[in-house]
Amino acid sequence: MYVLSGVTKRYTRGKETVHALDGVDLTIAHGDRVVIQGPTGGGKSTLLQMLGGLDRPTQGSVELDGTDLAKLSEAKLTQVRSEKIGFVFQSFNLIPTLTAQENVETALVPLGVKTAERRERAAEALRSVGLGERLGHLPSEMSGGQQQRVAIARALVKQPKVLLADEPTGNLDESTRDEIMEVLEGLWKEHGLTFVMVTHDSSLARKAPRLVTIRKGKITVKENAGA
Amino acid sequence: MVLLSRAYAFITVRPYLAAMFFTYLRRELRRRRKAALVVASGLALGIALVIVVSSVSSGMEKAQGKVLESLYGLGTDMTVTKAAEAPSGSGSGEDGAQRPRFQFDAQDGDSDEEQSSDRVMVQGFQTLSTDTVTKVGKQQGVADAVGGLSLQVIKVSGEFTPGQFQQDQQSGEGGGQGMPGGTESGGSGQPQGRVQGGGADFEVNNYSVYGTDVTEADLGPLTSSKITSGRTFKSSETNAKVVVADKSYAKEKELSVGDKVTVKGTKFEVIGIATPDSGDAAANLYIPLKQAQTLSDSKNKVTTIYVKASDSQQIDTVKSAIQKNISGTTVTTSADLADTVSGSLSTASGLASNVGKWLSIAVLVAAFLVAGLLTSSAVSRRVREFGTLKALGWKSGRVTRQVVGEAVVNGLVGGALGIALGLVGAYAVTAISPTLEASLGASGGGAAGAGGPGGNGGGPGGGMGGGMRQQAAAETLKVALTAPVSLSTIALAVGLAVAGGLVAGAFGGWRATRLRPADALRRVE
Repeated sequence: MYVLSGVTKRYTRGKETVHALDGVDLTIAHGDRVVIQGPTGGGKSTLLQMLGGLDRPTQGSVELDGTDLAKLSEAKLTQVRSEKIGFVFQSFNLIPTLTAQENVETALVPLGVKTAERRERAAEALRSVGLGERLGHLPSEMSGGQQQRVAIARALVKQPKVLLADEPTGNLDESTRDEIMEVLEGLWKEHGLTFVMVTHDSSLARKAPRLVTIRKGKITVKENAGA
Repeated sequence: MVLLSRAYAFITVRPYLAAMFFTYLRRELRRRRKAALVVASGLALGIALVIVVSSVSSGMEKAQGKVLESLYGLGTDMTVTKAAEAPSGSGSGEDGAQRPRFQFDAQDGDSDEEQSSDRVMVQGFQTLSTDTVTKVGKQQGVADAVGGLSLQVIKVSGEFTPGQFQQDQQSGEGGGQGMPGGTESGGSGQPQGRVQGGGADFEVNNYSVYGTDVTEADLGPLTSSKITSGRTFKSSETNAKVVVADKSYAKEKELSVGDKVTVKGTKFEVIGIATPDSGDAAANLYIPLKQAQTLSDSKNKVTTIYVKASDSQQIDTVKSAIQKNISGTTVTTSADLADTVSGSLSTASGLASNVGKWLSIAVLVAAFLVAGLLTSSAVSRRVREFGTLKALGWKSGRVTRQVVGEAVVNGLVGGALGIALGLVGAYAVTAISPTLEASLGASGGGAAGAGGPGGNGGGPGGGMGGGMRQQAAAETLKVALTAPVSLSTIALAVGLAVAGGLVAGAFGGWRATRLRPADALRRVE
């Protein structure tokens, strides 16, 4: 469960000060599915960074299950990321030199999981996204959709509380997009995750039960009861 | 400090995590072979250069050592000679004492008898008394001192026939013309005629003899030669008529053990053949010191005192003690002699120690920088990759370790390549073994050889005034250059390789530490 209150993030770009986030208050309950949309440069990514503990706000607090991420040390923050948060990125961000299985394993490395168990869990995660036959393939040997499935497996293998996806279908064609969304939604339901997704895609946004639109650092929240 | 702790952490990665470390490392290096190879070959070049330069330098030192050894003999730390006096117009003056003369009587024309005359001179014409040897031996810090007498023998032998008076009947009659400068018959004689057929057929043989102290076999020039045939002197043969011949001289004169050699009328039995370890021998013939003194009428005289110091660190102290306490002497240490070594050896050794050193430092620094910058830029290209790992919860240290690990492996690969390249280089130098010439300046060097005869004026029937010029003798030795690679050089190379890897890793690691996990969200490569 996320509780964001008065989250402000300012960057200085040259002489200019950019208010990427300007006093954002937002609560995301456990198991919620939230879509964040908005124009480029409006603060979507910044908000995702705050949620993912990738960056700290200039002001305000970002509480995850009662812990204020804004106040954690770098080491603690790293630990929170490794234990609780799974990321899926627009360009997949797989390590090009590692196989699908090894890529998934990288998420377990910071948890100190022993090699044999790590391998088994990675293989299991890949099977759950339908890539059981592709454990030994390099990213370059897979299609975009397959690569994103590997990334999803990597995000979920550690059984996180939160899944954060940054334009997860942005680099994929339409049919693959639907496929990936199916996988993500299926996993969300199955694992009872909190699922926050940033997207440009209005057709995806329409389906979201909760839509956060962010413009010039300020948010508006729309509940979609029909979704 | 940071590097050390990194290196330590690098070693102590928990085993069950190490698997990923090594898998990732191996994969990265394999995939980015080209980039890795660029870094590695830069380092390799630097390291190879260091190996070649340092091995060539030690080869130079060895060569110089050989040059000095061939002059001094092993174990000699310094020599003592009589202080040089201002040369008084040597070679051109009227100084009869220093100009050997040869006297031959013209013989009856029918006689084929060969005449010969030996002139035995003390080399350098400067001698020290044997008392001085004792005095030097008593100086503090002197372990041993032994005197030796260097002699130069000029042997002129051949037939000398007088010209015959012939009446002038018809000119153009055969018969050798009298040598110019020869004795002309008094011109006013009647009948008209001239002296014809007078002449001389002689050869000049010039060789060096060294009178060695047979009781002190461990010191002196003979120690730099090995007895390859026969035996050396017994310590009882202080005044025996025995000789040890230098191998090349023996070959030239077809001498072997058991033969007799005549020096100024004294017959010596050849007991051994000595082969110098390197370079030229100090003398053509070695005889007991007393015999040499007798031959040259220089009783109780020596030309050079060979000194061994009890502590090789105290050579300069001993040198000044001798110079202070025994006046009229010149002390030459190996270092002094090394300074007088000129020629391609000293040029090359200067090159190796200066240009080579700076060049290899420059190349190393450049290689380190290039390796560092390439590693750093490789990290920059992988910003998203490392950002992702950080987003996944990899600690900054783990990411840095990965980067440093790659760089260290690059360094080690570069080191291995460099060592291979350096060994090939050093081997090539040894295989080609370029010959270097070492000229030893005569300044104060009592061991330097005397020059050959300056020129022979000659004429039939008359006396021959052979002008002996004591040249400011410069001895030239030829030494083959080798490039021995020592273990310490290899150790240095390995150290440099690791250092290079760590320098590169420090650049890259520093860059990696500063990466933010949010970089994972970057959209553009």
